[in-house]
Amino acid sequence: MTPRKLLRIAWWEVTRNAGGIDRRTLAVAFVILALFGLVTPLLLDGGVGLDDGLYRVGIDESSPYYPVVADDETFVVRPGADRADLRNGDVELLFEGATVQFRDNPKSLAAYGELRGTVERFNNEQLRLEENGTAAFPVSVLLEYRQRGGGGDSPRIEDDDAGDGGASDGTGPADDGEVDDAGPGDDPGSGDGEETDGTGDPTDGGGSGTGGTGDRGPSLGGDSGGGLGGISGPLSDDQVSGSPADISPPFPFQSLVLAFLFVIPLNFLIQAYGSTILSERINRRGELLLASPVSRFDIIGGKTLPYFLGGMALESVIAIGLFVVVHGELGGVVSLLAVAPLVLLFLGATFLGAMFARSFKELTFVTVTITVTLTSYAFVPAIFTDVGAVALISPLTLVVRDLQNEAITLGEFTFSTAPPLLCSGVFFGLGAGLYREEDMFDQRSLRGRLLDALVGPIPRAGGSSRLTARLDPYVALDLRTARQYVAVGGLTATLIPFVFVVQLLAIALLFALGEISLILVLVVVAIIEEIAKSLHVYASFQHRRFEPGLKTALALGVASGVGFFFAEKIALLAQLVGLPELAVGEAGLQGGIVPGPFALTVALFLLAPLVLHVVTAAISAVGASRGKRQYGIALCLAMLVHLAYNLTVVMAVV
Amino acid sequence: MIEAQNLRKEYGDFVAVDGSTFSVQDGEVFGIIGPNGAGKTTTLKMLAGLVEPTAGEATVAGYDANDREMRTHLGFLPEESPLYEEMTPLSYLSFFADLYDVPDGVADRRIHETLDELELEHRERQLGDMSKGMKRKVAIARSLINDPAVLIYDEPASGLDPLTTNYIIEFTEQLAREGKTVVFSAHNLFHVESICDRVVIMNEGESVARGDLDELQAEYGETTYHVYTTVEVPGSVRENGRYRRVVESMDAVERTREAARQAGGSVVDIRTEESSLEEVFLNVADSRKRRRGG
Repeated sequence: MTPRKLLRIAWWEVTRNAGGIDRRTLAVAFVILALFGLVTPLLLDGGVGLDDGLYRVGIDESSPYYPVVADDETFVVRPGADRADLRNGDVELLFEGATVQFRDNPKSLAAYGELRGTVERFNNEQLRLEENGTAAFPVSVLLEYRQRGGGGDSPRIEDDDAGDGGASDGTGPADDGEVDDAGPGDDPGSGDGEETDGTGDPTDGGGSGTGGTGDRGPSLGGDSGGGLGGISGPLSDDQVSGSPADISPPFPFQSLVLAFLFVIPLNFLIQAYGSTILSERINRRGELLLASPVSRFDIIGGKTLPYFLGGMALESVIAIGLFVVVHGELGGVVSLLAVAPLVLLFLGATFLGAMFARSFKELTFVTVTITVTLTSYAFVPAIFTDVGAVALISPLTLVVRDLQNEAITLGEFTFSTAPPLLCSGVFFGLGAGLYREEDMFDQRSLRGRLLDALVGPIPRAGGSSRLTARLDPYVALDLRTARQYVAVGGLTATLIPFVFVVQLLAIALLFALGEISLILVLVVVAIIEEIAKSLHVYASFQHRRFEPGLKTALALGVASGVGFFFAEKIALLAQLVGLPELAVGEAGLQGGIVPGPFALTVALFLLAPLVLHVVTAAISAVGASRGKRQYGIALCLAMLVHLAYNLTVVMAVV
Repeated sequence: MIEAQNLRKEYGDFVAVDGSTFSVQDGEVFGIIGPNGAGKTTTLKMLAGLVEPTAGEATVAGYDANDREMRTHLGFLPEESPLYEEMTPLSYLSFFADLYDVPDGVADRRIHETLDELELEHRERQLGDMSKGMKRKVAIARSLINDPAVLIYDEPASGLDPLTTNYIIEFTEQLAREGKTVVFSAHNLFHVESICDRVVIMNEGESVARGDLDELQAEYGETTYHVYTTVEVPGSVRENGRYRRVVESMDAVERTREAARQAGGSVVDIRTEESSLEEVFLNVADSRKRRRGG
C-alpha cells in the first residue's frame, strides 16, 4: 500500500464527486442539515411541543393556581373568562377561586386530567424545595435493578425507613350541581349541573410523598449506575423524590434517541459510498485504475477514506453538539471513538455488498438490508443499556452511557468496539478479494462471488513469489503448500469477528426467552461456527486450489480447526465485562470461559474445544473435497457433532 | 520485450486461453487476431497483469506480468475504456500521471504534447460531453502518460468512424516508429496487415499460427499464378486479346508454357497473387475445423 497514492485517489474521489454536485443539490443538502439541527434541540426539549396551547383555561392572576397553569405550555391562560365562555366552549377549564369547573365533554375532561398531572408535578417540585426533606418525603424506597440472569431474578425493592406516606386526604364527594370535587386517583367527578358538568380541586391527591434515597441503578460493569440522568423519571437520578408513580423502568429513552442521531447519517453515507464503489464496476469504469501501478488496497482505501472521514466529521458535529446542548460543555470524545467502528462497519458491509451487487437495483436492496440489519445491531442492544451487560454488544450503548456521563472502562470499550471493528475488517477483506478484473465486471452469481471472495486470500499451488523463485523447486513447493494451509487457517481466524458478532446478536435477541434461549444459542453457535470453518475450504476445492483427496481434506480440516481455535480466544474479551455471567453468554462464548482447576482448564478450555474444532472442520472438509452435495451433508453432520458437544460439555459446565 | 509461455486461463470449466506461447521483440508491432471468443482479450489482459493466468507465465519489459512495477512501463488500452465522464481530459490525465509517478512538470508537458498530436481540442470540456472518437483519443493519451516502452492496445479503433479509425491506426504506426513495442488486437485484419510485423492467430483459446506475414502466407496462404499466352491453351480464358490461365504451382506454369509453345504461341506475362491475411486466417480456421471434423 502506498499512502501517497491512496491519498491521491482519496482527493480524486472528493474532487470528482464535488464537481458533480450542482447548486440545487447543495441547497437541498443544506436544508436537510438545517432541519437536522433544528430537530435535535426539539428532541432534547422533550419533543416538538404538539400539545402546546392545547387547552384554554379561564383563570385570574389572583388565583393560587395561576403560576401552575401559566408555567405549563399545554395551557393557554384566558383571564376574565366566565361561565358563558365555558359553556360556549371558549375555554375548557374555568377557575373560580380554588375550584375548577369543566364540562362533560372529552376535551374538557382531558384538560382536567392534564391539569391534575400538572398540579401534582408542581406540588412535588415545591416539596423538593423544602429544606426538611424527610418531612417532605417521609417514605424512603431503595430501588435496585438487578441484571437479568438465567433464573430471571426479579427486582428487589427495599423499604428503607418507611414513614407515613402522605396519604391521600382530599377525596371530596361530588356534589350535585355545579361543584364537583374530584379526589386523587379518581376520575374527575362529574355532575349534572346546569351549566357546567363538574368541578374539582386539583390539589386533591397530590399529598402522597415518597422519598427515594440511596444508590440505584443496575450497576453495569460494577460501577455504573442506572444513570438515567433524570430522563426516565424523577426517581431515577439526582431528583430522588416524587410519588411512587414516578418509578419507571430504567429505559434511557432520550439518550437512546440522541444516540440514534449518530446512526442516521450513516444510512445516507452508505448510499453515496455504495454508489461510488458500484460505479467503478458498471461499464468497466474501474478497469484502468486496476491496470495502473497502484494496488487494489490503495484504490479501496482511497475511495473509502473520504467517506470515513466525512462520516466521522458528521459524527463529530453531532457529538459536540449533543454534549453542548445536554451538558453545556464540550465533550463526546468517547462517543466519537465508540461510533468510529460503527462507521467502519457500515462502510465495510456496504463495500462488500457493492462488490456483490450487479446493478444499482441490487445495490438498493443491499443498502436497505445493511441499514436495517446494522441499525438493529446498533440500536436494539442499546435499549438494554440500563438492564444488563448484554447491551454492551452495541457501541451505541457506550454513546448512551457517555451521554449520561457514566464511566466506561477500557474493557467495556474494547468489548463493544472490537467486534464491529474486526468485522469491518473482514468485510473489507472479503470485498478486496473481489476487487479484481475477473470479479468486478462480470455478472456472476452471488454464490460464485461469495466463493471467489473467500478463496481470494488462498494462494494457488503453482503460484510463485520472489522468495520461492529463488529456492530449490522441492523446497519451494513445500513452502507454497505450507503457505496455502496457513492461509486457510488464517482465513478461518479472520472470520472469527463475524462469528462473534452473530453470536452476540443471537445472545442479545434470545436471552429474554428463558431456558430455551440457551438451547437456541447453542444451535446458532454450532451453525455459524461450522460454516465459518468450512465454507472457504469448500471454495478452495471448487477453485482447484487443492487437489481433492482424503489426506488433503483432513489436513485442511486441521488447519481450519486450529485457526478457529486460536482466534476463538478473542472471546476472552467477553470476560472483561462479565458477559458470561449470563448463562446464555457463557454458552454462546464458551471459548472464553476459564473453569477453576488447572487440569479442568486445560481439558475444557484448551483440549476439548481444539479437538472439537479440528474434528468438525475435518468432517466438513472431507465433504467439501467431494462436491457440493457432499459438502452440504458433511456440514450438517459437523453441526450436529458440534451441537452434541455443546449440549453435553458446555451444558455441564454452565 | 514480451514473453508468453503456455499461458492458460480457465473460468470454471471454460478454458478461455489454452497454452498460448509467443514472444514480441523490442520495437515490434505484434498483432493478435482471431474470431470473437478466441481468447485475444484475455491474453492481452494476462500480459497487462489484469488477469492472473491459471497456468503459464508472462514477462513484460523484463518484469513478471503480475508485478506491479511492470505497469509503470506499460500503456494499456482496453477495448472498452469508459472514462470518468465528470472529469475533463486535463484533470483525467493529470490524475493518472500522478498514479504513474510522473513529475508534475513532465506530466503537463506530456499531456499537452500528446493531446496536440492527437489533435484533441476542448480540453476543459467534461468527458461526458465528448464524442466517442474524442474519448478514444483521451484514452490513448492516458496510455501514453507514463511514456511506456510497451503498448498493449485491444481493438483501439473499435466502433469508430473510418476517419478516426485511420487516424488512430496511423498514430499507432507512428508510435511504433518512435521505438515503442506495440501489441495490437483488431477484428479488422486490413489494419493488422498494414501495421503489424508479426501476428499470432488465435482460435478457441489456442494460438494456432504465428509468424510474420510471409511465413504465414507460405504456410497457410495460397499463391496463384496468372499465366498470359498468345494462343489458347486448355483452361485459359480470353482477356484483352490474350489468354489467361490461373494455376497454383510453378510446375503448372511450366506445363502451360509447354502447351503454348506446342500450339505455336508463347507465354507473354506471368503474375503472382498472394493470399491476404484475411484469407490466411480463414484458411487456418478452415483447416482446424476440418482437422477436428476428421
